[in-house]
Amino acid sequence: MNIPVVRQVMEDEGILFSFSGMISQHFTEFLMDKVRVQLAEELNDRNSVKSIFVISIELLQNIMSYSKDIHIKKGNRHSSPGILLVGFDNNREKYYINTCNEIELCDREKLSSKIDYINSLDKKEQKALLRQKLRSAEDTHDRGAGVGLIEVAKISTEKIEYAFENSNKNLFFHIKAYV
Amino acid sequence: MDNLTIKETSYIPTIILDSIKGVFSIKGKSYPENTFEVYQPVQKWIKEYFSTTSNINTIINFELTYLNSSSLKVYFDMFDMLELAVENGKFVEVNWFYESDDDIIEEIGEELQEEFHTISIKLIPHN
Repeated sequence: MNIPVVRQVMEDEGILFSFSGMISQHFTEFLMDKVRVQLAEELNDRNSVKSIFVISIELLQNIMSYSKDIHIKKGNRHSSPGILLVGFDNNREKYYINTCNEIELCDREKLSSKIDYINSLDKKEQKALLRQKLRSAEDTHDRGAGVGLIEVAKISTEKIEYAFENSNKNLFFHIKAYV
Repeated sequence: MDNLTIKETSYIPTIILDSIKGVFSIKGKSYPENTFEVYQPVQKWIKEYFSTTSNINTIINFELTYLNSSSLKVYFDMFDMLELAVENGKFVEVNWFYESDDDIIEEIGEELQEEFHTISIKLIPHN
């Protein structure tokens, strides 16, 4: 294990919190109850911290709903492997939230067209789209309203960034939002 | 009709629906992974309440500090029910409490006001 390399990456990327492992409701609770409280104390910037965690929860719950490898436990509790990074980008002087998870090959097109469309809208149009989806059942499925990414875009201060990574026939989805 | 009470957890708000007083109270954070399952009894109760109650007035106090997008969907559906109750001659008063520096929850309250203008929704900041 090359800890110095990891440490250097953490420092270069301004990482405030990182997690790699099973994303589950337990983890989202831990994040909201503990990490959020600690960051709120450290950063002394309540609104940024709120936005960071609104976005984090949406991205993590997407991982729990749309990953390739979803483990389902008693009580229909989901967990899926994924990565969450929260950091501060020194050049842009903004916080960022970055997640990564393995997705099904067939979801690639759906995700990119959805994000491209959301990114093409201004804030007002994003709000209108969100409201339209909330008043219909268009994208609603059994675990969500299908509107998490619109919510992320609405709160972000920059366009959503995303990328796909092919690795050993597996497809990984990276998404990054700034506040 | 019995009252409905749901105990607060880290990710589910305290929910108290009082059919006699006609007062509902929803307070806390809402980000369960299975939102629709969690709120199903609440929606069923509210639907039954408005079709059977003789109360003219119903007051609903929301005091949320965080909600995820699927909870927001559930609340929009709940407001659809309230709108229907208003159309049927009931008087529904919503108090939307938010922490005074919480722009996100304040904005959701504003959106609800714009979207459901037949319902009286008061935005009430507190410290």
